[in-house]
Amino acid sequence: MEQTKTAPKREGWGSKLGVILAVAGSAVGLGNFLRFPSQAALNGGGAFMIPYFISLLILGIPLMWVEWTIGRYGGGFGHGSAPGIFHTMWKKNRFIKYFGVLGIFAPIVILSYYTYIESWLLGYAWFSVSGKLSQVAATEQGMRAFLTGYQGLLPTDHFSGLGYAYLFFLITFALNAWVIYRGLKGGIEKLCNWAMPTLVICGIILTVRVLTIGTPHPETPDNTILNGLGYLWNPDFKALTNAKVWLAAAGQIFFTLSIGFGVIMTYASYLNKREDVALSGLTASATNEFVEVILGGSIVIPAAFAFFGSARIVEIAQSGSFNIGFVTMPMIFNQIPAGMCFASIWYGLLFLAGITSSVSMAIPAIAFLEDEFNISRKKAALITIAIVFFLCQPAILFLGRGVMDELDFWGGTFCLILAGAIEAILFSWVFGMDKAWEEMHHGAEMSVPSVFKFILRYITPVYLLAILGFWLYQEGWPVILMQGVSVENRPFILWTRIGLLLFFGLLSYLVWHAWKKRSTVTDP
Amino acid sequence: MKTGGWIFLILSWGLLLWLNGFCFYKILRHHGLEDDD
Repeated sequence: MEQTKTAPKREGWGSKLGVILAVAGSAVGLGNFLRFPSQAALNGGGAFMIPYFISLLILGIPLMWVEWTIGRYGGGFGHGSAPGIFHTMWKKNRFIKYFGVLGIFAPIVILSYYTYIESWLLGYAWFSVSGKLSQVAATEQGMRAFLTGYQGLLPTDHFSGLGYAYLFFLITFALNAWVIYRGLKGGIEKLCNWAMPTLVICGIILTVRVLTIGTPHPETPDNTILNGLGYLWNPDFKALTNAKVWLAAAGQIFFTLSIGFGVIMTYASYLNKREDVALSGLTASATNEFVEVILGGSIVIPAAFAFFGSARIVEIAQSGSFNIGFVTMPMIFNQIPAGMCFASIWYGLLFLAGITSSVSMAIPAIAFLEDEFNISRKKAALITIAIVFFLCQPAILFLGRGVMDELDFWGGTFCLILAGAIEAILFSWVFGMDKAWEEMHHGAEMSVPSVFKFILRYITPVYLLAILGFWLYQEGWPVILMQGVSVENRPFILWTRIGLLLFFGLLSYLVWHAWKKRSTVTDP
Repeated sequence: MKTGGWIFLILSWGLLLWLNGFCFYKILRHHGLEDDD
């Protein structure tokens, strides 16, 4: 095969289960436990699962197969990041590699604030063990003050500044850096091989604990765990006539599977052509869905309903992931026997979900430096780690100015949907469906039903473009125009955008430089 | 919890448990837990 002859020797995975757990680890994140249950509860309960599973079938799983397939294909030519992978798929177009910059830019931007959020989880796990959390978890006001104090936004009795938060950030960053530096097989695969089963065990422990709570306050007999499950699962079929519900389901599927990040492509680029991608992609999706629907759906909302009742559950579900994770859940744990023990399991679980995702986000950039500039893996890892450490600072220091939300908008939402849409079109229409189908089935350990040919060609790209359009119209445009941003925060948002543009420009220049250098030797 | 809620919960959980069982059974039968190399 031409691919294996021309490709230089690249790092590989230790086992098939290892790469699947690494991809599943990348996909399983905080959204599985915090975002999914509130989205389901607010968008039709059990009826939400109809558009959710339809989106999984026509959007999530097909895009997972696309990323695994094109990643392995590009890896065969020695390219492990999106610019090179896109270039191998459409060699005649000299601009397509610049669209691939999204696959390096987005994960690094996300990593620059995600590591900080992850460090809060480590901090809260420590406060649960040390007993500090139990001192303040009696009231919502106390928990909110504790969180803002910890973030350095307001001085409180417990925190006078950013000291604790920055210390936990340094520990979290060092852990991430250590795993990333050790590489795929020695670092990420080893981490995911124990972290993913541990995460599932912690999730099962918490699920069993929550489902056996019963009626925590006998004076309010309607506030039961069963009614809490009912709040999440009782179907409201009227919701299915609302386009917003379908959009919410498609958005949840898209974001939960880590599609558009560029990470799955890079992970798959380290497979050889004889290795399966069809069953692996399906298994990684299935694992993520198990964690999201069965474990994620059984903890937060049922417990919040049982303790706070139907009057407050809508407000809690609408309050957002941070509020649920860092304010509501500690108050619940504070009311159950050995609650702080379960709180430490909760934050430990979320920390594992976070770190298995964050370590993956540095890999596309490392692969880019390694493959396109012939830099050794360890040196590429050190360069990436240093750049990310520098990029983390604005999200930490200017959290109260909306910098993190801005980074999340561009890196964590806009770029992902755009990259997903480009991948889907490139795969089905440019690379060609027949060739793509054949490529997907090389070494496949399952046969993908041929109806997916039609889905991949017509439905997935149209569905994705519709999501992009609706999302831009409903949420994107007001953010782009900075509606709702206070006058004093506008300079911070503007500087964040300038910084992001410069970073995107730098990456584009590196792509141009790499190909210019390469063209003087030989075109890949 | 209403009957409709139970139906959706059981169907969703059943579908996902079956899918995970199917995938991991196929993988572990062919590859086991050991390293490939």
